[in-house]
Amino acid sequence: MSWQVFVLIPIALIAFVTGQLFLKRGMESSAVKGFRDKKVLTFLACGISSMTINFLITLGLLAHLDLSFVYPFQGLSVIIISLAAAVILREKLNFRLTVGALLISAGIVLVSLS
Amino acid sequence: MTEKTRSRFANPWLVLGFEVICVLVYELLQKRGASETAHLSLVWSWTGITALASPVTWLAMSLMIVSLLSWLYVLRYIPLSIAFPLSRVVDILVPLSCWMILGEHISGRRWCGIALVIVGLILTAKPAAQLEEKL
Repeated sequence: MSWQVFVLIPIALIAFVTGQLFLKRGMESSAVKGFRDKKVLTFLACGISSMTINFLITLGLLAHLDLSFVYPFQGLSVIIISLAAAVILREKLNFRLTVGALLISAGIVLVSLS
Repeated sequence: MTEKTRSRFANPWLVLGFEVICVLVYELLQKRGASETAHLSLVWSWTGITALASPVTWLAMSLMIVSLLSWLYVLRYIPLSIAFPLSRVVDILVPLSCWMILGEHISGRRWCGIALVIVGLILTAKPAAQLEEKL
C-alpha cells in the first residue's frame, strides 16, 4: 500500500461530496432563477468539474487497486453527504435521518468488501 | 427550500425511482457489454476500449446520461440528505439482481450489508414521506 492511496482516496471522496453539494446548490437556485442565471451556471460548472475529478481519480485508483478495496470508501459518501448537507446547505437533519444514513453507509461498506 | 416551486412535469419521487432503475440497468448492461467484447483484444480489453464495440455499451452510456439528467431534476426538489441516501438503494439492487438474473453467489457478509441498507432506507423513507405531505 503506497502513500498515493492515502492521499488519492480522500481527495476522490472530497471531490465527490463537493460535486454533489455544488449540483444541489445550482439546481435548487435554478428552480427560482432559471438556467440563464450566472450563479446557477457557476454552481453547475463547479459541480460537473468536481465530479469529473472524482471520476478520473477513481479510474486511476481502480487501475492499481481492487474494486472491493476502492468501493467501500465510496459507501462512506452517504453519511458524509448527509452531514455536509446539514452543515453547509442548512438542511434539517434529525436523529432518524442520521441513523438511516449511517446504516446505509455501513451496509454499502459490508456489501462491497469481499 | 423550494417547495413552493413544485414541478409541473413529474413527481420528483417518481423521477428518483426512475433514476435508480436507469443506474441499475446501465450497470448490468455495462457488465454485459464489457464481457462480451473482452475476447477482442486481451491487452486493450483492460482499458475498456474494446467494450465500445458492443451496442450494449452504447445503450448503457445513453442510460448514464438519462440518469444524470434525472438526478439533477431530483436535486431541484428533494433535500440532498434524503435524496442521496435513498438513491444508494442501487448498491443493494445490483448484487440482488446479479443473484437473481446472473446466478452469482452472495456471501453471508454481503447479506448482512444488504439488511443494514434496507433498515437504513426504511429509517430515511419516513422523513421523506413527511416531506411529501408538506410539498
